[in-house]
Amino acid sequence: MNFKKILIAVDASENSMRAVRYVGEIVGSSPGFEVTLLHVAVSPDRDLFPDEQVWKAKKQEMQANMELFFRKSRTALIEFGVPSQNIHERYIQSGGGSLSHQILGVQESDGFGTIVIGRRGVSKEEEFLFGSVSNKIVHYAKGCTVWVVE
Amino acid sequence: METVAELLKRLRPNLSVGQYGKIVTDTSEFMEIGYGDVIRVGGLHYLVLRDETERSFGIEDPKYWVKRCVLLETGDRRILKLVFHESFPLRLGKLTVKCYRSPEKESRVLELVRGDWRFMQGITARDDHANPVRVLEVIRGKRIDEFVAGLEVDHRTYFFEIFPGLFEKFMGACEAIAFLHEHGEKHGDIRRDHLRVESGTERFRWIDFDYTYDFYENPFGLDLFGLGSILTFLVGMDIYHLGELERLGFSDVISNLTSEDFSLLYPNRVVNLKKIFPYIPDGLNKILLHFSQGAELGYETVAELLRDMESARAQIMKGGNLS
Repeated sequence: MNFKKILIAVDASENSMRAVRYVGEIVGSSPGFEVTLLHVAVSPDRDLFPDEQVWKAKKQEMQANMELFFRKSRTALIEFGVPSQNIHERYIQSGGGSLSHQILGVQESDGFGTIVIGRRGVSKEEEFLFGSVSNKIVHYAKGCTVWVVE
Repeated sequence: METVAELLKRLRPNLSVGQYGKIVTDTSEFMEIGYGDVIRVGGLHYLVLRDETERSFGIEDPKYWVKRCVLLETGDRRILKLVFHESFPLRLGKLTVKCYRSPEKESRVLELVRGDWRFMQGITARDDHANPVRVLEVIRGKRIDEFVAGLEVDHRTYFFEIFPGLFEKFMGACEAIAFLHEHGEKHGDIRRDHLRVESGTERFRWIDFDYTYDFYENPFGLDLFGLGSILTFLVGMDIYHLGELERLGFSDVISNLTSEDFSLLYPNRVVNLKKIFPYIPDGLNKILLHFSQGAELGYETVAELLRDMESARAQIMKGGNLS
């Protein structure tokens, strides 16, 4: 695996932005790095919304937030010296199931040597109930380096 | 249009009704539907007897969107759940989870489990406003905790003579939940009052599937925790809070307890029950410890829980650690 091929798994959160900035600081203008921002989009569950219109509006809002996050991330990475042509964005729709496994699927199929993910720090109880994408990535990742940015 | 009085005279002439209400074909305004009204959906007529209630902390809590009815065409009892969307914070010990009530989800689950006695049975009929009205068969029986509370035996007798049978049945109930998960559905509200022991057959049957929540990484975590809580109750024949141990005659246990022996979410609830009842087999107690503050790893799937239950089963059937 090429450790200079970096996959940053992001949502539109502050934690993700910290991960982006961390990568920017480490990589800067060093040669040979490729940075890909990956967002696995989970549509809000239709069951949670009383009608179709509100649900669709929520989906659009989430997508717009993510596009804005990608633009901000690119700007931040460029400011740290990462060449624009070495920054890529990928927005994929979740196929259902665990996000961590979908992220690891992209890492493996596209040969990323480094995965970076932000973490807000969850309690044991929260992890039991809600799960933790970063912890699962640390647990299940094979053949790559994982950076968890807290 | 036929009046309620005419309808009753035609379909159930022997049924005595205190007041004749109206015939309802759009159930959107469920607060205005009450005793004596008839709900017409799916080509059938349901006479409303009363709103369903749920006992919570000793108080009867009316569920205005759930109507106890008589199906006039047959005379059978039915429960009609009308559309009520809400979201609310569900307190789980130290955590608060945002829950949603979803009629569509419940309709899907009812369809999925049709003919499967491990679940309550029902159909969905659309009213004139396309509201999915869930028409449910009534399960006669007790909640699992009321059933256990009605067993007038001490814990040792319960554990060696009655619990093995209940454990087997509870494994079946866990398999039922695994079936839902395999089909991408969650129960959503696994608690002791949502597992019924059917009168006559003593089969364990799940009820109420309309809760949902938006966990994506671990969508079935809440269901798993619910199963763990019910299993802990079944093993202990009760719930044991720290503050009640002395009154219950377990004063000597208190000094041996550490924070790791308590529930992950309810810090006063003992889950390391072997410290109270030493004859509980290790394999069974280890399952309970997965739901404790001392757990290093929790279960991710019901299949994992069932594997451990299967391993513990032989020891339980042999009579715990005394054999």
